Amino acid sequence: MAAANTARAQSKKRNKGIVMSKFDRRDFLAGAAGAGSLAALWPRALLAQGTQPIRIGIVIPLTGATSQFGATMSAAAKIAVSDVNAAGGVAGRHIEVLIEDDQSNPEAAVRAARKLIDVDKVVSIGGSYASAVTSAIAPLCYDSKTVLFTSSGADSITKTPHNGYIFRTSPTVTLQGTRVGQYALELGAKKMFFLGPQTPFAQSYIDIISKLFKDAGGSGQGLIYEDKRASYRTEVDQALRTNPDIIVLGGYVPDTSVVLKDLYRAGFGGKKIGYSFGVNQVLADGVPHEVSEGTASLVPSASEDSTAYRTLIGKMGRSAIDSYSCQVYDHVVLTALALAQAAVTSPSGTAVRDAVRAISQDAKGQKVSDVAQGLKFIADKKPINYDGPSGPLEFAANGDVEGVFFRYEQVQKGKMTLLKVA
Amino acid sequence: MFTEFAQYVLNGLVLGALVALPALGLTLIFSVQGFVNFSVAAQMTVGAYAAWFAGAHLGWSPVVMLLFAFVVPGMLGIATDRLALAPIRRQSGAHTALMLAVVSIALNLAIENALRFLFGSDLNSFDLPIERNLQVWGLSVGPQQLRNLVTALVIAVALAAFFSLTRWGKAMRAVADNTDLARLKGIEPRNLSNLATFIGMGLAGIGGSLLAIDTSVDPSTGSRLILIIFAASVLGGLTSLYGAVLGALIIGVAGEVAMIAMPPVYQSLTAFLAILFILLVKPTGLFAGTAGVRK
Repeated sequence: MAAANTARAQSKKRNKGIVMSKFDRRDFLAGAAGAGSLAALWPRALLAQGTQPIRIGIVIPLTGATSQFGATMSAAAKIAVSDVNAAGGVAGRHIEVLIEDDQSNPEAAVRAARKLIDVDKVVSIGGSYASAVTSAIAPLCYDSKTVLFTSSGADSITKTPHNGYIFRTSPTVTLQGTRVGQYALELGAKKMFFLGPQTPFAQSYIDIISKLFKDAGGSGQGLIYEDKRASYRTEVDQALRTNPDIIVLGGYVPDTSVVLKDLYRAGFGGKKIGYSFGVNQVLADGVPHEVSEGTASLVPSASEDSTAYRTLIGKMGRSAIDSYSCQVYDHVVLTALALAQAAVTSPSGTAVRDAVRAISQDAKGQKVSDVAQGLKFIADKKPINYDGPSGPLEFAANGDVEGVFFRYEQVQKGKMTLLKVA
Repeated sequence: MFTEFAQYVLNGLVLGALVALPALGLTLIFSVQGFVNFSVAAQMTVGAYAAWFAGAHLGWSPVVMLLFAFVVPGMLGIATDRLALAPIRRQSGAHTALMLAVVSIALNLAIENALRFLFGSDLNSFDLPIERNLQVWGLSVGPQQLRNLVTALVIAVALAAFFSLTRWGKAMRAVADNTDLARLKGIEPRNLSNLATFIGMGLAGIGGSLLAIDTSVDPSTGSRLILIIFAASVLGGLTSLYGAVLGALIIGVAGEVAMIAMPPVYQSLTAFLAILFILLVKPTGLFAGTAGVRK
């Protein structure tokens, strides 16, 4: 933040300079270009001496429809920074995270990412959560050789020509859809109806879950609605006309709460199941108990039995946190460890990209869940295998994380209750 | 098939009635002050939070709660108007109306973010029991929806009485119909602007609180509806109060009925189409006063 302010102040000063000296536009552009290239060289020289912190960008939803985890994500990122810096930083240099609000809005996210990449020269961007947001900023990241760590699910994200610059720490939509569909079948449902807003994954969910139901001798249909609406009565009417015995809620918290209320009013007696971004404690707190009662939810699970997880929740002073905030913590730590491993004089996104797998999934490496310990081993030239609070962090060739767990939860009297972790 | 259609019409009327109050507010302010005050959206949310606070925290009865939802945005409306808009209005020029509209958009964002700061981004529900729908002739309708409909009707009737029976009301209509003529008759539009803002924003507040009782309150409750509110107002001619109500009902019904033939993803399209249609075919709006759009 402070850095951003300084940058702004500097550019203001520069603008003032232009007005006063009445530069010709062309002269100014030439001058600015010169200054720009100087600026590009300057920090590097300084960085080598360890005077400038290494910058890591974080783009998270602090406001808007997907903001329910924004505050804990931000807290987790700050703890990661202090953990790394307390351990002496990366090769003697401190790290700094710049947290930007994506407002749950791709357009705002693009502005934030542009600033982080162009002005702040971050080596990686972590946090990005909503799939629409991640899809919008992904090209900016891989085009500029900045690593993008994401907690988004849409399969399409790792299908982009990202050249290894994208690492996904959250399960893909295909995996989440399959698990939800299987669980819906386990609950004994035969006729599924999916209700969700227009997102990059809505149609995939409908296709995946419907296929599972058809293969099991049932049927599945779906309807994609426009979100941010005042009422979903007509949509709910359309869904109920098919007499479903289970409704899959594909929306985020604000629209899911309205849909649930409209389902309750319409007297729907079947089962309801949703995803963690729509059915969670924020939702349960926001609607009357009878409306949310019995709604099931699948949540990508953090590595809850791990020391890393327990240490993190201890530092945050909470009894539990969501997997997404754990992932944001890991995004910062992975960047720091990778840079330490790369041991380059000028940290870059490419250095991060090339070293992530070496520190997170080296089968021969020493298992490490503490970043300070990891940095120490790296300094001693010992191979490590970092397992974070979000999981073991092994990445497939396309950047997707492998081996994730889910928490199966259900709203009971207004509280999310854990059924099982599998 | 017929019941299905009737159900959609009913859903549309209920939504339209909710939209009608803020659309009335927008129209009233435009009539008297001559610009579109987009901060009605945030003021709806202010009303919603006021009602929620009065109901869930202070335990006030629903009627007092709604009164509170009228007064708080009304007062805030006057304050923001004097602070941000009046100074621009004083230096009248060719682009004043546009400037005012732009500043009101900024105002809308400012109020919305202030609410976010005060209450957080989470959803808040009213401490009112949630009821199952009633079934009448194969149609289903919620008791709360019916109450909303009745509330909107009562307020519309009260407003109609105000505008046709009181001096202030008549003066406002005169200004809306023909500003210059009204001025010749000794009515100073500027003197009416506080009252118009108060009533206009108050109506938005009640609309917002009714919407929130039906759904829930969060900082973006009102901004979700701004497009259809604006469409309703434009459809009604921007200066006709009856037009605003009819415009809201038409937009509400059209949007829901369109879902028979159109994927629900394109729901807002009907509002866009309505605006486009009106601007192309009858720019004065369907129900504009005799003088048409204010100059």
